[in-house]
Amino acid sequence: MNPYILTILLFAMGLGTTITFASSHWLLAWMGLEINTLAILPLMCQSHHPRAVEATIKYFLTQATAAAMLLFASITNAWITGQWNLEFMSYSLPTTLVTVALALKIGLAPLHAWMPEVLQGLDLTTGLILSTWQKLAPFCLLLQINPSNTSLLLILGLASTLVGGWGGLNQNQLRKILAYSSIAHLGWMILVLQFFPSLTLLTLLMYFVMTFSLFISFKVNNSTTINSLSMSWSKAPIISSMVPFILLSLGGLPPLSGFMPKWLILQELTKQSLAPLATLAALSALLSLYFYLRISYAMTLTMSPNILLNALPWRLPSNQHTLPLAITTSLTICLLPLTPAIITLLTL
Amino acid sequence: MMYMMYFLLFGLVLGLAAVASNPSPYFAALGLVVVAGIGCGVLIWHGGSFLSLILFLIYLGGMLVVFAYSAALAAEPYPEGWGSWPVLGLMLGYLLGVVSVGTLFSSSMYDESWMVCDEFGEFYFVRGDMEGVATLYSSGGFMLAMGVWVLLVTLFVVLELTRGMSRGTLRAV
Repeated sequence: MNPYILTILLFAMGLGTTITFASSHWLLAWMGLEINTLAILPLMCQSHHPRAVEATIKYFLTQATAAAMLLFASITNAWITGQWNLEFMSYSLPTTLVTVALALKIGLAPLHAWMPEVLQGLDLTTGLILSTWQKLAPFCLLLQINPSNTSLLLILGLASTLVGGWGGLNQNQLRKILAYSSIAHLGWMILVLQFFPSLTLLTLLMYFVMTFSLFISFKVNNSTTINSLSMSWSKAPIISSMVPFILLSLGGLPPLSGFMPKWLILQELTKQSLAPLATLAALSALLSLYFYLRISYAMTLTMSPNILLNALPWRLPSNQHTLPLAITTSLTICLLPLTPAIITLLTL
Repeated sequence: MMYMMYFLLFGLVLGLAAVASNPSPYFAALGLVVVAGIGCGVLIWHGGSFLSLILFLIYLGGMLVVFAYSAALAAEPYPEGWGSWPVLGLMLGYLLGVVSVGTLFSSSMYDESWMVCDEFGEFYFVRGDMEGVATLYSSGGFMLAMGVWVLLVTLFVVLELTRGMSRGTLRAV
């Protein structure tokens, strides 16, 4: 793409998130979300492939619907209460509508159906931007509204963890697996939103770090299916040896950093006398763990039969910029001992 | 004069059902013209005359005309309208849905009014909508600049999406 256009679009994406972050008026928050949606559209269909175009259209339609619902909710709130402030939504209809609209924006179950197909149509970098940056603005809004109905957020969260686990089980396309992984993690974030919002922020940031390293590992290996991952050990053996740790961190196993959000969320849910819900959520994480293990099995733990020539790509120098991958992989693996410091830093 | 508003709103719902039920963009845009015109009438009723004028000029006279030309370029020789049974059935279904939801949620026909009443708590020197536009240009200057920038970005986005004619993202016309 023309570098000037790319600059303008990336700047607009930063602008949109910044506007939503800085806003206390509903119209301004909506405006930031719309700018984000608009600016990512050309990035999504840059390859001009029919599947990419279809993914772009699906993304645009769902995000526009969510933005329209957000607008209806804020106008209804303005009609009832006479003011447009984000934090002062006290009636249940606008608050519920806003929650459902933001759930559609980020892809929580049962409003998740667009996510796997949209991610499947994109290349890994754009999919990364979609999975990480585009979630920041809606979460900023979710953290600021007072939830009207306790069970709505819990149902959204539990359904997302279950759907994210079960949906990813039969996939061999990596981008769809990453989409279902995103849905599951978003479910964990929403579960604890009304009890301890700092944990939502913690889970979000940890998810960003973990999924960044996974996306970039797949990008370095240029693989989008599990089959091509099985032949990728020779391209960069060190990445192949680190990816199982990233995957197990995503699955939430101690002593990796992915354990940190799940542990703290389970503790908070138990403190709120929601122990059965905590048990269900922990069991649903097992479903996700299965397909993370399957990926690491194909990539690292088994060597597929191959000719000797395909074991040699590591000898060739690579032009990939892997410093961000190195940083995020280290963070994904080693951050658990810093849990108290991170909690203190993120206390809202 | 309540009957006037009643007929306007009735026509609005009819037009909305027409927009939703027609698969062909010609008839849907025609429904949209009706809806926008009636919406302008409702707006004038509530005192927003300037806003209604802008709506007519820009929405109907600008955007809808461009849409009509673009739809005419992507012409279909036999557009399907209310003449065919599936479309008419869909239209009647939507109207039935609206009526049933309306009767479900209304306590009675005589207690509550379906119209919004304006309350004049204070006296204003200028009309609300014109003052809004003036405020946008004075104290809302930063947001105006932001809006202008966003419109420019939208232009670039649309140009990027439609670049390349037949090799591009959208099918060539």
